[in-house]
Amino acid sequence: MIQKFLGAFIAALASALVLSGPVAATPAKEAPWLPEAAAYRLTLFLANLEPLPWDDVGTAWAESYRGSEFAVGALAWLNGSSDIGPAPLLNAITRKDRQAVFAEATRLIARRIDEELDRAVMADDPARAQQAVRTARELYRAFADGIAAADPDASRRIGLAWLELNSSTGSAGVLGAGATPASRKTMEAAREVISGYLAENYLVDDFAPRRTLSALPETVVLSGRTIEVPPSLPPGSDMFDQDPLPRLVLNFEEQGIDETDLPLVAYGDMLFDSAQIFGNPAQDLGVACSTCHNRSDVNQRLFIPGASHQPGAIDVDGAFFNPIFNDRRDDPIDIPSLRGLRFTGPYGRDGRFASLRDFTRNVIVNEFGGDEPTPFMLDALLAYMLEFDFLPNSMLTPDGQLTEAAPEAAQRGEAIFNTPFAALGDRSCASCHVPDTNFLDRQAHDIGSVASAYDGARTGAMDTPTLLGTAYTAPYFHDGSLPTLAAVVDWFDESKALGLTAAERADLTAYLETVGAADEPYETFDAENTAFRLAFSELTTFASTLNTLLPQRDAEHILLLTDTVAADLSADASTMSNLAARPEVYALAERLAEVGAAVRGEDWVAAEASWTAFKSEADAIEERAF
Amino acid sequence: MAIHLNRRTMLALAGAGAVSLATPLAAQDTALRLAFIPQENPEKLLGDIEAITGWLASEIDVPVEGFVTIDHAAAVEALRNGDADISFMGALPFVLAEAEIGAVPLLSEVYRDAPSYTGRIFVRRDSGIAGLADLRGRDIAFADPISESGYLYPLAEFVEAGLIDGPGAAEAFFGRVFFAGGYQQAMQAMAEGLVDAAGASQYADLLLTPQQQAQVTWIAESPPIPSHVVIARPGLDAEVQDRFTNAMLQLNEPENRDKLRYLYGPDGYVRADSAAYGGVRDMARRYGLLE
Repeated sequence: MIQKFLGAFIAALASALVLSGPVAATPAKEAPWLPEAAAYRLTLFLANLEPLPWDDVGTAWAESYRGSEFAVGALAWLNGSSDIGPAPLLNAITRKDRQAVFAEATRLIARRIDEELDRAVMADDPARAQQAVRTARELYRAFADGIAAADPDASRRIGLAWLELNSSTGSAGVLGAGATPASRKTMEAAREVISGYLAENYLVDDFAPRRTLSALPETVVLSGRTIEVPPSLPPGSDMFDQDPLPRLVLNFEEQGIDETDLPLVAYGDMLFDSAQIFGNPAQDLGVACSTCHNRSDVNQRLFIPGASHQPGAIDVDGAFFNPIFNDRRDDPIDIPSLRGLRFTGPYGRDGRFASLRDFTRNVIVNEFGGDEPTPFMLDALLAYMLEFDFLPNSMLTPDGQLTEAAPEAAQRGEAIFNTPFAALGDRSCASCHVPDTNFLDRQAHDIGSVASAYDGARTGAMDTPTLLGTAYTAPYFHDGSLPTLAAVVDWFDESKALGLTAAERADLTAYLETVGAADEPYETFDAENTAFRLAFSELTTFASTLNTLLPQRDAEHILLLTDTVAADLSADASTMSNLAARPEVYALAERLAEVGAAVRGEDWVAAEASWTAFKSEADAIEERAF
Repeated sequence: MAIHLNRRTMLALAGAGAVSLATPLAAQDTALRLAFIPQENPEKLLGDIEAITGWLASEIDVPVEGFVTIDHAAAVEALRNGDADISFMGALPFVLAEAEIGAVPLLSEVYRDAPSYTGRIFVRRDSGIAGLADLRGRDIAFADPISESGYLYPLAEFVEAGLIDGPGAAEAFFGRVFFAGGYQQAMQAMAEGLVDAAGASQYADLLLTPQQQAQVTWIAESPPIPSHVVIARPGLDAEVQDRFTNAMLQLNEPENRDKLRYLYGPDGYVRADSAAYGGVRDMARRYGLLE
């Protein structure tokens, strides 16, 4: 469960480390995008959405991106650091002219690179020259993936030019010792390689119209060649950095049953963490079920500009993941927890799917553009997800009554929770959130929390959510519009005119917080139980399904497994605290890849041999490497 | 970065203690001034300085101010003329500052349980390069010509192996020698195949993508290099030094560890051992940086 999360997180981090500052003694931290480069990348991303969120495009330039280390947005940044005016770009945004926005934004970034290169060449000391080169190169990052995908030779030429340029700035030495002068001639020659390419591809007067905006060089676009730029998320996206990690409670595990003895469940566990079951861009971005529903719970940090209105929310039927499924409605929903899934049907915030199987297929095929899953895949996913249990809570009995461990305020709140209110049609909170059925009633009710879609619409009914575990799943309601459980109480009190006193509202909130609490909500790590150890254990468990699949000669599902697990195992090695043991894990991943390669070649003897070797080596690593 | 720092003072950020009613030490009736060297986003550093000076001020009951200098030389100059009392510094500039102005080491950074790290020569696993000698005539990217782990120590491995006569003779052995501007740039240039090898910190491969990390390995490693150090100007009152040092050591406590991210992100600090920097002094002499 954790391995995709960790691996992709590191991938996201490292991909952000395109450039970093001067030499540090230790690993550098994530390099921030420069404000104007970030705004450019956000503009490209947003302008490929339909309908195009023009307000967000304006905001991309006016405000600093989400999570930015820069206090100001691109416009203010440009005002303080550049002589290049943004007026033509702002005019194009005002006119909502997509092509003009692309052209002006692209030229602005190219001019900024040239401006910094000018500063580098003109600098009178190495420190300033290097600072300017660094800035120019960080701006170049906005175009780099387009050039690398379309024109590898140019990408290499320019890469060498950056090396040449930085090397020729000279060095101030240390306190005057070891200083070396700049080589202006070399600097100018290297700069010309970069500027010449920019002039030809990013500073042109008229860009060819583009159906999809990207950083592809103009000459390549004009050539008509079809180039696939690897998908990327824009600055401000946050998919993987979840801390603390929710605790996963699996029914079989709590009963002491080993997952390796449940191959269907273990395969479903693997699929839950596999981006391979989705289509692109989700697949290339490493998006899996667990990206949103990490450890069966909620990734409260997940945020994708244009698809999320706040962290922990996502519009899964928007333009980005599967355009054919784009409902053209800006309706992101707060990600629901999957704990206790077998008790919480129907599925979807409005309960639109009675069947978990139908719901799961819809996620794979429609929301994330994957191929039709095989019956075995759906069986496995369901077998796994139906093992998700609620978090144990010693303040609550199995039939939903408070125990003596519950605080007094919660005891008082329990009485309010069970009190019928005339304003609720003589129903109580407990009428829908039924305590002895896991605090839900498996029905959809329109409580007035959804804005009417059109006059006369009857579309506001939402599936009653469980209250179990909710202390850790803020915010609340289908759109995450209420930040706390106290806010939920206030909303009901005010919108339904319940007439609760402040003390009663506090008691009712205490009750909700008690019902929603858990004894151990998060995974605890220490020197022994490390994140990598957990990932390693899970990945080798996934692989154990080969004991079943290899004898069946089930090539399709074997390859799905080996492709997923070998890549994740290798990626997760970077999270090991025992860095010296990484090569062993890389070798183990290669061993699993060998199983896949042999199966592709229909050499089942070799596949069995590699699998046997994998098991032996995994056991050895388990004993030594931690 | 596009922030253009002045030669010395970018700004002075007064910590919370600077305006508190704390009783100043008799020997330090003005603010304790900390100089920081930018290693990444200078703007973020300003925010970090504000956070850490505020905490330090509350811990040592002395107003604390921080400012960013453009480089090590400016920080040492600030220490020399009294504009700064304490500075964060690399091992190499410290030994030069020690020789030049008598700077005093107070604390060493700790990473992965050690106040030291190493430099390594990294190559791609599929390159066929198995040893340093295989790099004859090949291209290499180092981080920076004054980087301990990103140039001086890795290059010394070639000298030790008898492949290079000494510092300054590198060009005769390699094809091209580049200074990429940082660990990450050097490693990326190697991983992408722009050069055949990279000289960088032992942890620099962690700056690559997980996929790239699996594709690279290292073929040589330097002796331990003392990690970065926190130094004081000569003449700074001993009691002030003690209070500052003790406060910094409090950052090792679990409840304070989150503040380490404001200080270049070490895992902690230990009291500096001047003798541990002997190897750096030797290295500085070997490269002609120290008499």
